[in-house]
Amino acid sequence: MKFAHIADVHIGAYYDETLAELSSKAFEYTIGKCVEEKVDFIIVSGDLFHVSIPDLGAVDKAVKQMRRAKDAGIPIYVVYGSHDYSPSGKSIIDILDSSGLVTKIVKGRIEDNKLRLEFITDEKTNAKITGISARKKGLESKYYEILDRDALEREEEFKIFSFHSGIEEFKPRELTPVECIPISYLPKGFDYYAGGHIHDRSENTLPGYKNVIFPGPIFSGYPRDLEKNAKGAERGFYIVTYNDNTIKHKFIPIKVCESTYYEYDATGKNSNQVKNEFQKNIGEIDANKKIVLLKVKGKLAGGRTSEIDFSEMKNLLYSNGAIYVNVNRYGFTSSEYTDVKVSGEDVNLIESKLFRENIGSVKLEQDKLLGKKGISLAQNLLKTTRLNPKINESKKNYDARQVDDGITTLELKEVM
Amino acid sequence: MSEIEVAAQVIGGKVANIRLREKTGRKIELGDLLIVEEDDGSGLLLQVYDLEFGSQIPQSMRELAAGYTLEGYGSNLDFLDPKLRNYIVAVVRGIARINGSKVTIPKILPRFFSTVRDIREEDLKFLTKPEHPIYLGKVRSGSKVLDVDVFLNGVDMFTHHVLIPATTGRGKSNLVKVMLWSAVGKKFGILVLDAHNEYYGIGNDLGLKDHPDAKDNIVYYSTNPPPGANTLVTNLKSVKPWHFEGIIRFTDAQREAIQLYYDRFKERWLEQLVQETPSDSDEISAKTIAVIQRRLKTNLGLYFEEDRGLICKNKAFNDKAGEATISNIIQSLESGKIVIVDTSQLSDKAELLIGSIIGHGVFFRYQEYKGVGELDNKPVVSIIIEEAPRVLSMETLENTGENIYDIIAREGRKFKVGLVAITQLTSVIPTTVLSNLNTKIILGNEMSSERKAIISSSPQDLSNDNRTIASLDKGEAIVSSIFTNFAVPVQIPLFEEFVKSYNINSKKTGDTFFTG
Repeated sequence: MKFAHIADVHIGAYYDETLAELSSKAFEYTIGKCVEEKVDFIIVSGDLFHVSIPDLGAVDKAVKQMRRAKDAGIPIYVVYGSHDYSPSGKSIIDILDSSGLVTKIVKGRIEDNKLRLEFITDEKTNAKITGISARKKGLESKYYEILDRDALEREEEFKIFSFHSGIEEFKPRELTPVECIPISYLPKGFDYYAGGHIHDRSENTLPGYKNVIFPGPIFSGYPRDLEKNAKGAERGFYIVTYNDNTIKHKFIPIKVCESTYYEYDATGKNSNQVKNEFQKNIGEIDANKKIVLLKVKGKLAGGRTSEIDFSEMKNLLYSNGAIYVNVNRYGFTSSEYTDVKVSGEDVNLIESKLFRENIGSVKLEQDKLLGKKGISLAQNLLKTTRLNPKINESKKNYDARQVDDGITTLELKEVM
Repeated sequence: MSEIEVAAQVIGGKVANIRLREKTGRKIELGDLLIVEEDDGSGLLLQVYDLEFGSQIPQSMRELAAGYTLEGYGSNLDFLDPKLRNYIVAVVRGIARINGSKVTIPKILPRFFSTVRDIREEDLKFLTKPEHPIYLGKVRSGSKVLDVDVFLNGVDMFTHHVLIPATTGRGKSNLVKVMLWSAVGKKFGILVLDAHNEYYGIGNDLGLKDHPDAKDNIVYYSTNPPPGANTLVTNLKSVKPWHFEGIIRFTDAQREAIQLYYDRFKERWLEQLVQETPSDSDEISAKTIAVIQRRLKTNLGLYFEEDRGLICKNKAFNDKAGEATISNIIQSLESGKIVIVDTSQLSDKAELLIGSIIGHGVFFRYQEYKGVGELDNKPVVSIIIEEAPRVLSMETLENTGENIYDIIAREGRKFKVGLVAITQLTSVIPTTVLSNLNTKIILGNEMSSERKAIISSSPQDLSNDNRTIASLDKGEAIVSSIFTNFAVPVQIPLFEEFVKSYNINSKKTGDTFFTG
């Protein structure tokens, strides 16, 4: 038996044409490699798409690749990730499942307050596959709380558990604030645990849990991933073989382009100095055919941050052959004024921090509006307002869909 | 005071040694609380610390009378007016003067011949529920339990440290469970190093997991966690050289070698050190490296085998997993949660080391908060450690030097970090440490040397309470604290009975709708 384990593809994450193209290229390479390696099936552990209704151009390219896999006789088994899950149950994953291009792994029902999952069986290999999708931020933990683990543990065939949640015991230290689930929530004794959600590759083992694997993204889902790529993080996926009761997993690296990272500390300098030094230094960067990521941090001793024209510097790098340039200025402030109250490296983190800063200033009484729960709820609600209209969707239907999603997010249906 | 209430009468004595004649049949007990009502409406609260016989009949006559009875010369023989001539004398001392809600230390004797009655619940209405209450039990008069709850302000109590001295089987764990239960959801960060895995409640055993608010307020770590709990696994990168201070003894040369490895390899120092092939070619002698490796193997089960690689035999340590465990625990404590760490499967040293890593993390972070003026917004953090002499005894401190527990006992108060030390052996803890543990919840103790150490370090004068402490039954305690007006006798409820008053089946679950 041979299968591929992919996660966090985040198709449609980028509007920038270059990054979108690189993202598609990474997926194309992944499917190509799977076909070449003649894997029996592919497991995608969530976040195949960046949003539940992604840009159709990106979907089109992805669907062509999935079709290629299907034509090669390679089924794709999928769980929802936190990004492509929709509280209203209308996600691109459902459409692809209906079309037969992918198969949703998670099947089951709640009986006597127990979640009884069913295995799906891969016809060719007889591998038993089950798992739990992500829901809104961390809410899938409710499923784990009531999961009937005993029934799953009794299955004796080769079995895979796919999930899209960080595991407390395996999360890197810098992700301490990120909510994860303890590994004890997972049923024990599976042959392979196909994880997603954590954007760092890791291969883990603890007593009762062998082969708990997180491949990380195949390219990038966030600017933070791009930065890690530039700092040397390997991206890719796993090909797993199972022969004679022995499992071997091999990481297949994917590098769709070169990238470089440059960090500059402006602490104690004035805006003129920064401008001159920064411009000089980036002029020396070998940017040809590369993604160039710049980070400026620190507090200016004099002058304003707005006095530095970063677009000029980006142009310089583009003229030196860079294919994409991004300047991260979240940690860059001036002692003369500070207009950024929170900093972070992706939208989610910044929003979370902003909500955290502000949640204390309003008087709230309901438990679910307080603290972390309140922040999570606010973020999810905000997410529902960001959904793009579908092609040919009337404004009326779009508005109604947004209201519907909002109500579902607020768990108000019962009250109404 | 009605005639029927009179329990005794003051017949003499002196300050701290007032003698009362017991009214026949009243059965005054050691530890009983009695009241003398004063003319000004105040009351003097007395506590019995000794009982003896009194008689108007000379000793020789009493002996002769006993002889008559015992030898069969007069089975019906009795004294004339026996209730008048033979009686019990209770030796008491004044422990508080109560005037409404004002309570002061008594500085005068009660009126001579004044009558004394049993305490009533309304006499103790000054015992109000404080802010940040931690429940300890009900007021006890001798072995009688009054319906008056005893709370201490948890912020005061935990920051000024707590000592719980008792011999085995006197209810230490039960007390801690009751205290913790009342602390759930009250924004106290409490780390429990649970050497016997008895606080969380495994399987059907009642424990803190059964608290209605447990889900959001209690975090449990174990090397063998039940579903939903966290695995106690600490990445080797979390271990720093200073965490060993006072836990494992290293010579100066060994300490220098450890520091050198830390300087060279930073957070990977321990992995490197364990995997090092001892050689004199380096500036550290091969012998020193070999000894350190041996000590790490013996104490922590950490060693290297050529064919198997780095081995962490102790399941609490791991070279790959558990990177965020310590920071998660510290974050939970900072959020005012109770963190129970099941150390029952760990060696003594491994348990203390994990406590040291967390303790250092919290202590130094709180120091920083103080430095930047943020400490007031942080909850009190307290560390509960059993068999405290392992880290706080004179011998340990002399042999292995100061450790984080000792530092917290001495300096933690300034940074809102406290210690709850549980011990059977108070006498081995130095006075300098004991004097910093400002609340003592004293349970029964048969050993006179231990009682002496407890009494001599108590916030209140318990010099007459030697017998009372010896006679404390299971669940009975004396709370002596700088935050109480007097040493309060307490009956700690049985945890299993206590939690019945809570709706332990009312955990917030909510309906779950399943979408694949």
